Amino acid sequence: MNSSNSNSNNGQSNSCKSSNFDNLNQDLGLHFLELARIGSSKTPVEMEEDEEEAPKELNTINSSGGFLVVAPDKLSVKYTSVSLHGHDVGVVQADKPAPMRRLLYYFEIYVKDAGAKGQIAIGFTNEGFKMRRQPGWEVNSCGYHGDDGLLYRGQGKGDAFGPTYTTGDTVGGGINYASQEFFFTKNGAIVGTVSKEKEMKGHLFPTIAVHSQNEEVHVNFGQKKFAFDVKEYEAQERLKQQMTIEKISLPPNISYGLVRSYLLHYGYEDTLNSFDLASKSTIPPICIAQENGFDEQDVVYALNQRKTIRQLIRNGEIDAAMNKLRDWYPQIVQDDKSAACFLLHCQKFIELIRVGALEEAVKHGRIELYKFFGSAEADDPFDDLVQKCVALLAYERPQESPVGYLLEESHRDVVADTVNAMILSTNPKMKDVHGCIQSYLERLLRQLTACCLERSANGGQGETFHLHRLLNSSREI
Amino acid sequence: MASSKKLISREEWEKRLNNVKIRKEDMNKLVMNFLVTEGYVEAAEKFRMESGTHPDIDLATITDRMAVKKAVQCGNVEDAIEKINDLNPEILDTNPQLFFQLQQQRLIELIRNGKVEEALEFAQEELAPRGEENQSFLEELERTISLLVFEDTSNCPVGELLDISQRLKTATEVNAAVLTSQSHEKDPKLPSLLKMLIWAQNQLDKKAAYPCINDLSNARLEDPTF
Repeated sequence: MNSSNSNSNNGQSNSCKSSNFDNLNQDLGLHFLELARIGSSKTPVEMEEDEEEAPKELNTINSSGGFLVVAPDKLSVKYTSVSLHGHDVGVVQADKPAPMRRLLYYFEIYVKDAGAKGQIAIGFTNEGFKMRRQPGWEVNSCGYHGDDGLLYRGQGKGDAFGPTYTTGDTVGGGINYASQEFFFTKNGAIVGTVSKEKEMKGHLFPTIAVHSQNEEVHVNFGQKKFAFDVKEYEAQERLKQQMTIEKISLPPNISYGLVRSYLLHYGYEDTLNSFDLASKSTIPPICIAQENGFDEQDVVYALNQRKTIRQLIRNGEIDAAMNKLRDWYPQIVQDDKSAACFLLHCQKFIELIRVGALEEAVKHGRIELYKFFGSAEADDPFDDLVQKCVALLAYERPQESPVGYLLEESHRDVVADTVNAMILSTNPKMKDVHGCIQSYLERLLRQLTACCLERSANGGQGETFHLHRLLNSSREI
Repeated sequence: MASSKKLISREEWEKRLNNVKIRKEDMNKLVMNFLVTEGYVEAAEKFRMESGTHPDIDLATITDRMAVKKAVQCGNVEDAIEKINDLNPEILDTNPQLFFQLQQQRLIELIRNGKVEEALEFAQEELAPRGEENQSFLEELERTISLLVFEDTSNCPVGELLDISQRLKTATEVNAAVLTSQSHEKDPKLPSLLKMLIWAQNQLDKKAAYPCINDLSNARLEDPTF
């Protein structure tokens, strides 16, 4: 399907260069307009996750009514019947399933009274579980039983697992999403782990069961301190995962190369020169062979010009920046309604506000900004930004206003990055539009985020990935 | 082996990639973190000026740290030890393993320069007492001393001790110890993120067919193979 204004570059010839360029122009600039919007929210850039609910109490609605009684606080259960066979177990699930978007989940029971036979169980069951059977006796369930210390995983016969438990014992059950295992504890110590078989996917409910007369069990969903140090266990498991990742080997000097191409991409010329100089005297000397894939053709282009203009914009000298652009790259500022020009005009407005030259700002607005107002399209990024910029006029202390972020350095940087991309796009040797907008480093980070999101989407398990948090925390990754 | 893998088209995947929000400042921080941890002082300073990113460590401390690292890399161990103690005498006090490694390197350098008598004296006075306290130190000492009996060290079993990689290994550990003593992480974050990318792709491979990046150096997206 070949669309005439597609992004793919198939050999620009000089004659149609200007029309291709218009398309590129719009696309490139728009990308950065979107970025300008990100700056407006104070919250981190990750998607807000729905807060996953965790179990808080026992579910009295679906419990095996006739055989047991749940206390009014819904945190303990007593077997009131006399057990006669294997289908009159008193089973209770938690009110919510175990949350999955974390490294692990854990809860505990305290055996108040082991009753006549101590046939207590702790484990996990799925939503449709037959509520008269011990957890573990049916498929899609697992249970650690107190009377025999066996672990049952979906059939009548259990596997040797650990010690029995009785009155006065505190027993815990947990799910480790990183290792895909169930784990159980007794009186503060790990008893063992078993793999969480493939059938046991989907939502799992913490489950407890009592089966002989007078058995009584209290449950703790985290409201009280656990007997087992689950935080420590979690830290150890997290460490294990980190160590697995650390063992992965990288191509030699890859970080060095990515940093270098980042500096080249954004035009940080002085930094690059210092970096190169220092690398020459590194022991052993670092050399990036061409075969490593670092192709500099695209990004060495116009390095000094890009650096110069970036510095001007970062200093708020928008007029000077635009003059330089007119001299060096007139095609970029040719279309006054392009995203790049728009951003520059807005920035000039912002700089005037910053120094309190409100009258001049209004004058500038009347000349350059009015035409971006009132677009028919909903959610038009031009309209959105120009309104926010003009809103700055309304505040005595604009930097403290809701639109104050426009006055921050980071916004100047967005404009600088836009111009940088536009200049890169004028390179006749440029083959990849994408390459103008995103450095290799950025692409890798996006890929990392997308992969992690896909893994945890759709009922996925395990800790979600937060790049911003990782980068800003002080602990090692 | 039935393939129940989900297929994600290139178009769909690129849409998702574009939806990811990455802040420029975060990327700048990542680069600054690399420059600072690896010791590129001037570059870090220039980057601060050109990008407005603040280094998460006092740049002045980098110069000192780099001087120590350089000294070890060049085999000037005595100088290195002096510099470390100037920076923070506790570093070597709390790091007997590191201290021994440095002393061992000193011995290696003496042997490399043919100073046999000095080497023996040094080994007997400084290293032997350590060897008596610690089995692994003793083994290392014995390995090092055995260099002396070989005319042609390029072929002997412990020849690797003379290799420059031995100096570099020690230099890296010294660098890490100094960073840790300054309450800074000893490794830059960037390599860890790259490893995480490789790991995340491997993990996702089990569940889905999607465009992946096989060559980190050019970040090129390969079409999904099904």
